[in-house]
Amino acid sequence: MGPQAVLSHLHRADGSATYAQNGYSIIGSVNGPIEVLRRDELPEEATIEVNIRPAIGVGSPKERHLETLIHNTLRSIILTRSIPRTLLQITLQVRSLPEEDASTGVSTSLTLLPHLLNTALLSLLSASIPLSTIVTSVLLAIPANTSTPVCSPDPKELLRAKPIRSIHVFAFSGDRRLLLNESDGTFSYDEWEEACELAEDVCCKEEGGVGLGEGMEVDGPQDNMESWLRDVVKRKVEQEQRWRTAD
Amino acid sequence: MSASAIVVLPGDEIPSAQLPKPTNKKKTLTLGPGLRHIPPETITTTIAGALVTDARKNAAWIEYNSGRYMPSVGDLIIATVNNSTGEAFNCFITPNTPQAALPHLAFEGATRKTRPVLPPNSLVYARITNSGRDSIPEVTCVDSSTGKSEGLGPLKGGMVFKISLGMARRLLSGRKGGVTVLEGLSEKMGFEVAVGRNGVLWVDGGSVKTTLAVGKAIQEVDEQALGEKGQKKVVDKVLRGV
Repeated sequence: MGPQAVLSHLHRADGSATYAQNGYSIIGSVNGPIEVLRRDELPEEATIEVNIRPAIGVGSPKERHLETLIHNTLRSIILTRSIPRTLLQITLQVRSLPEEDASTGVSTSLTLLPHLLNTALLSLLSASIPLSTIVTSVLLAIPANTSTPVCSPDPKELLRAKPIRSIHVFAFSGDRRLLLNESDGTFSYDEWEEACELAEDVCCKEEGGVGLGEGMEVDGPQDNMESWLRDVVKRKVEQEQRWRTAD
Repeated sequence: MSASAIVVLPGDEIPSAQLPKPTNKKKTLTLGPGLRHIPPETITTTIAGALVTDARKNAAWIEYNSGRYMPSVGDLIIATVNNSTGEAFNCFITPNTPQAALPHLAFEGATRKTRPVLPPNSLVYARITNSGRDSIPEVTCVDSSTGKSEGLGPLKGGMVFKISLGMARRLLSGRKGGVTVLEGLSEKMGFEVAVGRNGVLWVDGGSVKTTLAVGKAIQEVDEQALGEKGQKKVVDKVLRGV
């Protein structure tokens, strides 16, 4: 099942999105460009601030680590130089985690990371922040008994396929460049390469002569993140432009 | 452009076939919000929305209706005065952004001897003269060529309503925006409105009842994205209530 997304539903934030997949549900909000604190001010770039709030309790070093990863990934796609000396505040609130999340035996920060990245991108799109490209992210798991990777596994699937040998998070930009990779466990280079290729297929649109106009008409498979994102944005545009067609 | 709107994601390259064909060779292509030019001739998008082109003006831009207002030169805005320094008033265009400067002399008929007095939180209808990318934003209440106010200046009385940026653009674009609710209401009521591109609508109807009726009607049209028929219904409902 593909992920669900709702855009621009928080009325006091400049941009917001709720994203849900496989029992993970995250609310993202973006405020910006706003005035930056003097000590955080960068003379030629925008400052990006990422805040992650866990489902229960206050943030811990785990959230700080995820914040750093997301900050560095987003910094490479946001056109920070077009809005210098401003602040972009990105807040990601984890609303719910699947029950099985803690018992799958794999790193819980890695299973959460792709969902956080996708939520952050949706919120940025909703806030109309200038971006050089998009980013899509996916989780892959390689179980111990087989060597074929499972793509964006449900936590129940992970529990069934236990023990998991390694898990990988990949994030790709719209022009098929690898922006982020986090891997955990034991794996060979060949396995990693296979996983990387599979992730690229899932994240990016099919290569070949798919033009700008054609890409939308193809009722793309729901497991392609790029066409899914295009669908979400299409719904947003329809929502905004419906006064043109309304009678 | 209704169902055929081209939906774009940031980073999409716009093929030259989708750009407007220049009718006049001399006229250069104008890129509006959401598009950027990477030399030599690549044009890519930076925000998600619908691609709109105008062949007559040889222009292309991305239409979107979300996010914070970003000042650009020539826009009409409704600013809130925060305080006054020696030479200028400091105004807010949107909350939590650097304050814009409105010089004391940028009003019609203002001289060094007779400066306007604006207490904090008063509203001014102004035009942006400096978008503030590399310095502080600047606004003015006079037309620099004629020295007249041309409708700009302090807004007294009335009330402000928050509207979406797209609605503000619709209201300011005249017939193209397809907003008929104001004309409909004006047949029975008398009121004054000012529309700021920063998503602020100021209404003064003389009485609280009229002001609220007009403001709420526009907010309803905005939220439900009503077409002409829907707007007529809103007008009828409001006029029945007054």
